[in-house]
Amino acid sequence: MSAGPVGARTGSMRAYRLAVAGRVLMAGIGGYAVAALASALLALILPGARAEAVSAALVASFAIMAAAVVWVFAAPTLGRAALGLGFATAVLIAALWLAGAFQPGGAA
Amino acid sequence: MSRPRSFRQSMAWLHTWSGLVVGWVLFAIFVTGTASYYRTEVSHWMRPELTDAQADPVAAATRAGAFLQRTMPDAAGWSVMLPSAGSPAVTVYWWRSFAGPFHHALLDPVTGERAAVRDTQGGDFLYRFHYELNLPPMWGRWIVSACAMILLIALISGIVTHRRIFVDFFTFRRDRSAQRGWLDAHNVMGVLALPFHLMIVYTGLVTLSAMLMPWAVKAAYHGDLLRYYADAGIMVAGRPPAGHPGPAMPLGEIVARAMAATGETPELVMVSNPGDAAASVTAYFEEPPGLAHLHPQIAYDAATGAELGRVGEAGAATRTGAVMVGLHEAHFAAAPLRFLFFLCGLMGAATVATGLVLWSVARAPKNAAPEGLGLHLVRILNLGTIAGLPAGLAAYFLANRLLPVPLDARAEWEIGAFFAVWVLAALASALYPRPLAWPMALAVPGLAFLAIPGVDALTVGEVRFVGFDLAMAAVGLLLLGAARLAGRRALARYPVRTRLHGTAEA
Amino acid sequence: MTVPALILSLLLAFSGFSALALSLDRHHRAVFRSPVSQARIGSLRAAGWSGLGLSFAAAVTFAGWSFGPVQWIGALTGAALAVVALIAYRPTSLRAAALAALPLAALTLPLALMR
Repeated sequence: MSAGPVGARTGSMRAYRLAVAGRVLMAGIGGYAVAALASALLALILPGARAEAVSAALVASFAIMAAAVVWVFAAPTLGRAALGLGFATAVLIAALWLAGAFQPGGAA
Repeated sequence: MSRPRSFRQSMAWLHTWSGLVVGWVLFAIFVTGTASYYRTEVSHWMRPELTDAQADPVAAATRAGAFLQRTMPDAAGWSVMLPSAGSPAVTVYWWRSFAGPFHHALLDPVTGERAAVRDTQGGDFLYRFHYELNLPPMWGRWIVSACAMILLIALISGIVTHRRIFVDFFTFRRDRSAQRGWLDAHNVMGVLALPFHLMIVYTGLVTLSAMLMPWAVKAAYHGDLLRYYADAGIMVAGRPPAGHPGPAMPLGEIVARAMAATGETPELVMVSNPGDAAASVTAYFEEPPGLAHLHPQIAYDAATGAELGRVGEAGAATRTGAVMVGLHEAHFAAAPLRFLFFLCGLMGAATVATGLVLWSVARAPKNAAPEGLGLHLVRILNLGTIAGLPAGLAAYFLANRLLPVPLDARAEWEIGAFFAVWVLAALASALYPRPLAWPMALAVPGLAFLAIPGVDALTVGEVRFVGFDLAMAAVGLLLLGAARLAGRRALARYPVRTRLHGTAEA
Repeated sequence: MTVPALILSLLLAFSGFSALALSLDRHHRAVFRSPVSQARIGSLRAAGWSGLGLSFAAAVTFAGWSFGPVQWIGALTGAALAVVALIAYRPTSLRAAALAALPLAALTLPLALMR
């Protein structure tokens, strides 16, 4: 349960705090974005009745967000965390576009 | 955090800090949520004027409809909860818009007028505090949900951090250092009820999922939530208002039809667009036995009483979600299982509390060094939340018995007592002398809970409340036991306080 | 989901968890003041897991497949809490309590069967 670099110089302390703030923001906003996009995508592409796909997407979305947040905090560096999250977001947006979510009138 | 570290180290860091930042709110959510397992019992106790007279649901519904017609004929909706063995009065709600405000009243099923009962929110206050924190509903729900998500993260990172789950499964070393004792208590409470903790946090999020994650419905239904509910078999399809007024049957007639159609008395009837020519009445029935939270429903035309539709069969995914909501609310649980849920909820609150205390104990200065501002703040907040909230709860119950019955805005006074005593207890606990802070802070709510049976006996004194009073006394004894435990540690250290000052008091 | 059925589940889980706890050296020393032998670990673990298994069987038999597992997990938490409390405060009585739970469970069985 180390609480951070005890006795670190002021400069590195500031860098440390910025890195933590960066990860917290990325986990909150990025994690939610990934979960929201994944949930929208699942609702469109899961087989079976439309309502069933939506129900499954709703139930699964929080697990997806939790996984994304754990990834952000587990990644070795801030850059790697951002890269992973950005990649997931891009793939999800592309898939949503392919599924027709952005066409006027929408999918469905 | 910036340099590369092992997965377990990052997760330990994440567990420590995610747990700390939301710990105090989580403690309040756990305590009020756990109390909500007995929401009906609390409401009964807080409205001693109501007795268990079974009323005729048909006549009661007609009278409630007449009351609502007088009160708000042009409402967007009315809802009438019919009398049952569990709640002998008729609870009515009415609203002009789904954004609120939702007005409500308790009616006497025999007269159809407001019941002669003390003004109180009863168990509903604890229940709503559990997910709205007494804030504007949307704010409260988002804050509670954010805390729940952070708790889910804290649980996952906690499992990763705790490397010897099986070996330490039964370990509680009370004879070692204070820090070791708190760590063991935190682990035992967390691990033994882990299935419950994971279940309760995830299902809580699922309960609010339509608000938290509207994107699936946006993508597949263009945001038409009601159509999704109808398709999924969660609700019966509604219909838009006609825009011109129309006649309506007495509400009891429709209840009678619903009873004839199913052989069961509906729990609740909801009128959409009352007074409109296209008004409809939906009858909600008790959930069939099972875990899922899915109410059978039939919709009727409010003017003719013709059946408009029934709720469809839910598929596997919808049913899974409904089981999650059902598990969270535990309406299905009969008394013994409900008590186990209650116990698990207490263990959840204890996990949060021991985690918070552990944070401050682990960081207490090892010698006579003064504690830093952050540590001081955490310690004060710990005392104020863990010992202050129970004091507020006891005050809420005591106020219900001690405030004069005809008092204006009495329900608000009860809630005021809850918050005022919570704040006072927290402020006082910040001023107690260090070594005695925990025993004194815990003894206050303990004594207050012990006072409840006596006060009840002197003010109301009915045999049917003995069970509730005994439960209150048990809570009081539990708190006093905790105070004694904390006091023994403090006293054992007291003589050598100058040498060991601040080693381990939380 | 009757009270006897839940108590039966609790008692079996309590015995099972006691055996599992005794298969761990730290708790075996606290209870018997002697280290646990390899042979004993095996038999205690087998007894422990069968206790938990029987508790599950009882829960599912009397409460069905939907309530049963929920009730069983609740019983596991309650029973484990009791074992932890005994080890911390009355370690020497753990063995007797775990053995006494078995005939009590046998006595509860007909009560659970009655409904």
